[in-house]
Amino acid sequence: MADFLSAYSIQSWLESCPQGYLEDTEYGHAHDEKEPDILLDNEVLREETIKATVQLVVGERCALSASSGLINAAPDEASKRFLATQTLDEARHVEVFTHRLYDLGVKKNELESVIRHYANPNLVKFAEVLLEKVDKKDFIAGVVGQNIVLEGMAFSVFEMMYAMNEPINAKFAHTLSGTIADERRHVGFGENRIGSLIKENPGKKSEIERMQKEMSYWMLATFADAFRGNRTLDELNKLGVERAHGHYQGADLGVLSPEQMEHVLADTVLAEFKTRLGRIGVEYQTPAMPA
Amino acid sequence: MTARTEPRTEIHDLEHDAFLEEVHSFEFWFQAVEGYLSGTVHGHRPDTRDVPPVGSDRERLISTLCNYCIGETAALEGASGLIAIAPNRLTKVFLSTQVADEGRHLEVLLQRLADLGVAEPESEVEKRSSPSLQLFRRRLLELVASRDWEAAIFAQNVILESLEYAVFHTHASNADPITREVLEGVIKDERRHIGFGENELGRKLAHSPHIRARLGQVRSQLDHLVLDMLETTAREIGVDRHEQERLGRTYRESVERLGFGS
Repeated sequence: MADFLSAYSIQSWLESCPQGYLEDTEYGHAHDEKEPDILLDNEVLREETIKATVQLVVGERCALSASSGLINAAPDEASKRFLATQTLDEARHVEVFTHRLYDLGVKKNELESVIRHYANPNLVKFAEVLLEKVDKKDFIAGVVGQNIVLEGMAFSVFEMMYAMNEPINAKFAHTLSGTIADERRHVGFGENRIGSLIKENPGKKSEIERMQKEMSYWMLATFADAFRGNRTLDELNKLGVERAHGHYQGADLGVLSPEQMEHVLADTVLAEFKTRLGRIGVEYQTPAMPA
Repeated sequence: MTARTEPRTEIHDLEHDAFLEEVHSFEFWFQAVEGYLSGTVHGHRPDTRDVPPVGSDRERLISTLCNYCIGETAALEGASGLIAIAPNRLTKVFLSTQVADEGRHLEVLLQRLADLGVAEPESEVEKRSSPSLQLFRRRLLELVASRDWEAAIFAQNVILESLEYAVFHTHASNADPITREVLEGVIKDERRHIGFGENELGRKLAHSPHIRARLGQVRSQLDHLVLDMLETTAREIGVDRHEQERLGRTYRESVERLGFGS
């Protein structure tokens, strides 16, 4: 275990993250990269972009609370130190997505009310399931919920958003690429560290499976709200602006309907859960489908 | 995160809220640490020659480093626990940078123990830890668990950090080259943490002076543990009586800057 955890040391983190892919960035992107004018000038597009970014801030705030809360529950020093780097990664994500809200015109004194207004209640419930485990200092369930379920979801969402933005918004795509690199490390830690702990505590499996099923339900409900209530495509059609043809999981996002995009994302995340949970010896539970 | 092509405003010219937005950010942290951590491996330059102490000096250094590890573990657990009760995003982000700092300190100190030939640094730390320091750690975590923000910040970012700052500063002046470099990097971080504690509590005390009495009580509960730790560590790092007194004075001055006289 010690050898595997040495790959997750603070020394490795310093070399790969701040001195690696974050080099020469400011708030996650190059200094001269800006949001596209159309997002800033068109009120519908701006509001939809703010709404989407708020969900990222809410998710990252949950990840920050969870990773910092898990430090005191970690059974060994090396895990504590990895979680220290993850805590800082999550705080950086909170910071860069918060700054995106400022770039989109949210005033600093309105930040919290904007977040409260747009935060998806299903995403808040998703976070509550995880934070309940963290509050109980349940390290195994907490790491599965945080580093496999939450981070697995974030990883796929960011990848899809990256595919959507890469052809049209270099600034946000750049911000996302740094967070994706972080999430990949977090998911890797979860899989590697938890597998052995599950073997030592087989009695935890059913509780973890229930948690995954519940979190997955709230995640799917969040996706449904995010895609079905989104006015972006209608507005682009109205403006006569062609959609960007980013590719995600073999699909052209420029031709899919919002429902089709929702299904591609949901299927991808759930398949990832199944694979990753299988690697740590936990049986994936199919969640109920939100109405 | 290094290339800023536009000149930045001098931070002390900023309005208070903008100042906090700047100095509590990940960006600010990164620029600060990059200056002294870039190119280092486990807290020291890779080409620094190791001249480790031998015999009883080595034993004393190992005991000292073991107790530093306990202090840093307390700080890591304290800072991470404080994120949950931090009153706003900026203090949460700052504490996240502190969590990474404390995790780094623990890592470089454990590595130094390994370099000195300690086969199992973590169990050695437990074996050699001072009862006063362990008690301090428990008291700190109780304050965090009780969600008392001011008392926990006071214990963590003023008392513990001031103690570490004073001890590391003195130790660095007579340590072997690698231990010195490791400690000098840690000291630079501690200065930032103490600044946060002073700023956060200074503002709170200005608006709510009644908090002072409660923090005075926390100090009186922790002071004897701190002074006991100071005496033990001073003995182990081999400083003379005069230097021991100066060490105590440095610690007291940091705490008294906030108006908590003994």
